[in-house]
Amino acid sequence: MLAPLPSHASTLRVRGALALAVAVAAACHRPAERPAMRFLHTFGNEETSLLNEVTAERGIAVDAAVVPFARGRQVIAEMLRAATDCPDLIRIDATWLPELVAGDLLAEPPRALAARDWTPEAAALAQLRSVWWGVPQAVDGLLVVRDVATPPPASPSLADLVAAARAVQTQGRRYPLNLRVDGYWFVPWLRDEGGELAAPGGLAGDAAIRAMTRFAALFGDVAPPPPPAGLEEDNEGRRWLNHEIAYWITGPWQFYQLGDRTRIAVSPLAHAPRGGQLLVVPRCAKHADDGWRLADELTSLPVAARFAARFATAPTRLAALAEAPGLSRDSYDALRGAVMLPREPATPLLFDDLNAALTAVVTGDARPDEAAAGVARAWQRLTPRVAP
Amino acid sequence: MTGEPGAAVAAAGASLRWRVLLALSLAAMLPTVVVGALAIMRARDDVAREVNRGAQAHIRALGAVLDGTLQDAWRTVDLAAALWADAPLDTRATQRLLRRLKAAVTIVHTLSILDPDGAVRFGDPVPARFDIGSHSFGGYVGDIEDLDGRPVVYLVVQARGRTGELMGALVASLDLEFVRRRISETQVEPGARVLVVDGTGTVVAASDDHAPSGPARGRSLAGVDPAVDAALGSTVEGTLAADGWVSTYRNLSGYQSRRGVRWAILHQQPERDAYALARETTLDTLIIGGAALAIALALGGFFATRLTRPLAALARHADAIAAGSTDDPPPVRGPGEIGLLGERIDEMARRIAERAALQAALARGDRLASVGVMSAQVAHEINNPLTTVLGYAMLLQEGKPPGHPDREALELIASEAERMKSIVGGLLEYARAHRKTARDLAASSATATGGCDPAAVLRHVAALLEPQLRRTRAALAIDVTATAPIAIEAHALQQVLVNLGQNAAQAMAEAKIEGGTIVIAARPAPGGVATLITVTDEGPGVPPPDRARVFDPFFTTKDAGVGTGLGLAVCKHLVATAGGSIEVGDGPGGRGAEFRVVIPNAR
Repeated sequence: MLAPLPSHASTLRVRGALALAVAVAAACHRPAERPAMRFLHTFGNEETSLLNEVTAERGIAVDAAVVPFARGRQVIAEMLRAATDCPDLIRIDATWLPELVAGDLLAEPPRALAARDWTPEAAALAQLRSVWWGVPQAVDGLLVVRDVATPPPASPSLADLVAAARAVQTQGRRYPLNLRVDGYWFVPWLRDEGGELAAPGGLAGDAAIRAMTRFAALFGDVAPPPPPAGLEEDNEGRRWLNHEIAYWITGPWQFYQLGDRTRIAVSPLAHAPRGGQLLVVPRCAKHADDGWRLADELTSLPVAARFAARFATAPTRLAALAEAPGLSRDSYDALRGAVMLPREPATPLLFDDLNAALTAVVTGDARPDEAAAGVARAWQRLTPRVAP
Repeated sequence: MTGEPGAAVAAAGASLRWRVLLALSLAAMLPTVVVGALAIMRARDDVAREVNRGAQAHIRALGAVLDGTLQDAWRTVDLAAALWADAPLDTRATQRLLRRLKAAVTIVHTLSILDPDGAVRFGDPVPARFDIGSHSFGGYVGDIEDLDGRPVVYLVVQARGRTGELMGALVASLDLEFVRRRISETQVEPGARVLVVDGTGTVVAASDDHAPSGPARGRSLAGVDPAVDAALGSTVEGTLAADGWVSTYRNLSGYQSRRGVRWAILHQQPERDAYALARETTLDTLIIGGAALAIALALGGFFATRLTRPLAALARHADAIAAGSTDDPPPVRGPGEIGLLGERIDEMARRIAERAALQAALARGDRLASVGVMSAQVAHEINNPLTTVLGYAMLLQEGKPPGHPDREALELIASEAERMKSIVGGLLEYARAHRKTARDLAASSATATGGCDPAAVLRHVAALLEPQLRRTRAALAIDVTATAPIAIEAHALQQVLVNLGQNAAQAMAEAKIEGGTIVIAARPAPGGVATLITVTDEGPGVPPPDRARVFDPFFTTKDAGVGTGLGLAVCKHLVATAGGSIEVGDGPGGRGAEFRVVIPNAR
């Protein structure tokens, strides 16, 4: 191609500069408009800050709004059922997916997105009965966090974990094992006894009672008595910094708050639940394509790398995982043996009753059989309520 | 060189002045601009930080009050729920509990107890759609709703029995009118406002609720006000400057539902008010900076002119030197190095002039030497034939008696031949004087080391001039007060004085002045290192225009055929060879001429 004559080139440059100036001026004077795409998410404080940074840096125009995680399932389900003010992309907990799918509230992702190099665990998370319903944004679950100076348990089994905790129990480290009085933390013990959430028979069987008994016995023995509700995080953080915790059953979400990550080593936990976060597009979305594009962007390698670097979470794509920090890869390995919770609409609803029952047992207000029976009755009420 | 030197100097001076002015201006402007810009930015940053800090403190305090009120209500209802769950079937106790609860929590608008299936068992009716708290971690605070024109939130607290089993839920609608009261009571800066919006961006309360321009209560600002969008898209707090407003926001909904309702509180202030102090500081900085800049420019102009003026003078001076001007320009005065440069240029000009004069003298000397050599050759070649002509003319005369017709012609031939011999003799003398080599000079100098007695020379000169003076009827006076021997050959001095004396006698004779006196005086020169010999007459004198030329060879004021124009040139050469000087001026009282010969005394 011939170069334009100098005079033409000058003219072109001048015209180009004028056009650019006009465009810039127009852009500068354009009144602020609300971005067409809306993103509803459940990120925490730090994650939200990073999300806002990433979208700003990458020039993504998105109207992002937060919904508190604890109310997320309720708010999102109501919003999608009403189909008014519908977001174009939503970040949900994987346990909410069955209910939303059962309600026919979600759109299926483009094939190209489903064909990305997802890790097997992430791919499983985004599918329900082999149908893709979203883009996996994070995989998490329970694992054992320990100080690198502490030897790992002999095996992932609960018995070896408790034995390892007892082995390092001293006067100064009275409660070397840390776990919460919470149904999610109870799942490994329930599974260890052969039970499962919402399995036929619920928690009424002997397995649940044995599991409750073993679980409750840990508190005040190798695990600290439960702190007042709402103070769990502060209490755990203080104990970790004081080296009072040798083995901590928690998830990758905790890494961000632990400070020095070189102190952290992770081990798998037998029967641990595995879950995660998904990016889904509701059927009522007005800009579904934009929603999927944003989902693709938020799981792209650069963004995944940013999240992994900041939070040490395990990326959901193989290429990103290969580039992730060592702690991210270790936690991914530790979670590979974990098992997802039953993928039923009622699953997320079960924890309210289970948590209260476990608290009653741990505090001694109720016997395990009484508590298990109460939970069973509650679940019998809940299950038909959310059935499709 | 083309163009007018003066114009070039003026242009160069102007260019230099502008450059100096530009340099000084830049030197003044850059720090002024940089410091000013830093001051402006710093002031704006500081003001922005303080404005944001103040606004954040304000909304934190307000948010704490609002959230704290809800948390208090939550804790009270939660305690009541736990109490009721242990005895859910006691109707009277339940109703008493509800009454006490309403009385204790003043913001409770309606209060109900629902069974696990969501049906109302006690208290006020509730909307049928109520979720009693599945997957809410024990309860929740719902979104803000409008109930009979009042903003309310529903508080749902699960009531669980001893074993943790769900017995029901306490549902309280909390009247958020207290939020409005609180917000309306808050003191804000003029033009500023405080907003509380719910999770959908709908305005729940605003401090300017009654202002015509204020946001209408109940109107959603989501998608309208970027600050509201930012607040709802955040989990904590932040600041946003957009659309002419500075907004500081705080999202009051936390990660856990118990922390409160989905809402956000915003403090908004017009940017012009928020940053008024920064704007004033900016204006002050600009004014002060501009004034400083103007002063700097004026001073710069003054100093540039003052600096370049002597330089321009120097340039003119240099141009004059280059043009070969012999005028002696006034010395260039200037500060420091410029003054030094002026002095150096003056010195350089003086040396150039000396060198030029020296070169001219050398050139003239060479020319005269050449003339002398040529004259000597010509004179030598002519002298012999002339001698022959003269001899034959005199021989022929001897054979002619007086009155012979050829005698007059022969006498004319003889006299003219004599005159030609005289001229030739002068030429030979001039040539001889100029052929003196360095060795001759050294020799004469050595001879002169002993010096000659000026008195003796003057007496001898008087004797030599006597016959001619008698013919012209002029008197001669000798006045000798100098006794020191002088460094010149006696013969040379004698030749000089005889020449001057003859010239004086001829001048008076030509001017028809009879009885005039020629005075030859010798006296010590001032300083005592030389002797001044003067020859004065009472003739017409030497006109000033001729005074510089009378010593040039072949210059003469005598009639044609009378003088050769070589006498004074020979005098000057002889005197100069002796290290002396000769000059001519007016005689005493401005009458006649006076030749002043200064000869160094012998060592």
